[in-house]
Amino acid sequence: MADNVSQQLLEMWKKQVEESSQAWVKMLGQGQAVDPQAFWRPFMDQGMAAWSKVMTQGQPSPDLMGQWKQFLDQWIAAWSKALEQAMGTDAFAKAMGKQLESVLNAANPVKKAAEQQIEATLAGLGVPSRSQVIALAKHVIQLEEKVDDIADRMESVAQLKSAIYGLEGRLDAILKRLTDLTATPKEERA
Amino acid sequence: MKDELFTMMPEMPPLSPEMLAHLKEEANRNVLRMKHFSEMIMNPKEPEVGPTPREEIYRTNKSRLWRYESKRTIKTPLLFVPNLGISRPYIFDLMHKGSFIEHMTQLGFDFYLVDWGVFGPEDNDLTLEHAVTRILPRLARKALESSGASEMSVLGYCMGAPLSVSFLATHPEFPLKNYINMAGPIDFAHVGLFGLWLDPRFFDADKYVDTLGSIPADMVKMGFKLLKPTMDLSTSLNLWWNLWNPEYVAGFNALNKWANEYLPFPGEFFRQWVKEFYQQNRLIKGELVMAGRPVRLERITCPVLAVGAKEDNIAPPGCVRPLIDAVGSRDKEYIEMPGGHISLIAGRGASVHCWPKVAAWLAERS
Repeated sequence: MADNVSQQLLEMWKKQVEESSQAWVKMLGQGQAVDPQAFWRPFMDQGMAAWSKVMTQGQPSPDLMGQWKQFLDQWIAAWSKALEQAMGTDAFAKAMGKQLESVLNAANPVKKAAEQQIEATLAGLGVPSRSQVIALAKHVIQLEEKVDDIADRMESVAQLKSAIYGLEGRLDAILKRLTDLTATPKEERA
Repeated sequence: MKDELFTMMPEMPPLSPEMLAHLKEEANRNVLRMKHFSEMIMNPKEPEVGPTPREEIYRTNKSRLWRYESKRTIKTPLLFVPNLGISRPYIFDLMHKGSFIEHMTQLGFDFYLVDWGVFGPEDNDLTLEHAVTRILPRLARKALESSGASEMSVLGYCMGAPLSVSFLATHPEFPLKNYINMAGPIDFAHVGLFGLWLDPRFFDADKYVDTLGSIPADMVKMGFKLLKPTMDLSTSLNLWWNLWNPEYVAGFNALNKWANEYLPFPGEFFRQWVKEFYQQNRLIKGELVMAGRPVRLERITCPVLAVGAKEDNIAPPGCVRPLIDAVGSRDKEYIEMPGGHISLIAGRGASVHCWPKVAAWLAERS
């Protein structure tokens, strides 16, 4: 009985949360300003109603905390689904793209100016700048790459060499066999 | 006043013995929660990750090849190719009894892990093509040499799957025994929110790379956090709920350490990754070319297993499964597991669902 009541409450809560979050997504889609009170009220009302019912139904689930955790999990899952829907729209992707681009547009000149300033200062002090250190690191990487290439080629040569040795061995065996054959008198061969 | 306050409250039913027992248990758990919480705050311990013994086989620039030796009861070794950038590979060997690598080596697989490393600004010119046609073939060859085996199985996880299939499809000389794609996007037309956000109508990859040089770790973090904005909330809630359990806390600490260590992308790598894979979807269309060689997935003819995760929002099952239709293999299978992108391969659920299935499939063919 108690489990049934808990299950019913959970289902009710789940339905309510899903409906509210979907309404929120719809509201966003219509470009309406989000009213914080309207945003939270359904959840608070529903939460209070559910708790009040749990406390007064007579036979609530003995695991109140477990039930409360389930409510919260459902709440988060419903919001996750709603947010995913909202973020899966062209409008959101466009807004995010614009936002990031404006950050780049603002950051780019500042970054360039700062880099130039720092480079000039470090050059004046005779200290290697970041770009010089990076260029040096790039040379080291290129050098390592060349060493790796040489090692690869040497390995290929070694493989080729061992293959040739193998062939030589086989050729020696064939020659030896031929020599044996030619050395054997004709009568014996017959 | 006191009586008035009580009359305002709804009438409380009497507490049953069962409920009292639950309340008592909850009170005990709360004491443990407070104890563990104060330990986390006052005396945080650095979690020990990567417990399986390993040996460095080869190193080139930032990338390394690690060998995790086993008793070698399975003949064919396994080469594991994870994502480049984004996160560190110790998630595959997170902790004792919670490690995919430990699981596989205990079963007798010699395990080779590609660790792409952490790239710096000096690597901004590193392209995806270079990773696929220069670094990966070299690491794969070194793994094969080190194992002494004549063939090798390859497992690509996440981005490691498109990278490794690009390598294998352009290097038919590599003696590939089996291939596994674990949560790796292949058809980028079904790649979910990232696919939309990186759409060329909204995202100018050239501008990002030209301005920033590389994609900083913070930006990578922001993208992944945005993908699931309620993740931190549910993680915190679950932590509080399980805070009484020391095993859970140890697992949380290790996973939390990993989850907050994001890695940057080398700029040119990111440009090619976004444009050719996300925006132009060249891999599945057969239009991808690496170092002059066309990447033809049908050239992969060995047994292939693709594993998707039902709740994966980074590589949804719809973008993982198409590998099965694209390869030229006769022995091929797609399976879908419960969980998300990470829980597919790390954590308790993975040890129950995914690891045994993957290991059994591979052992049968190795």
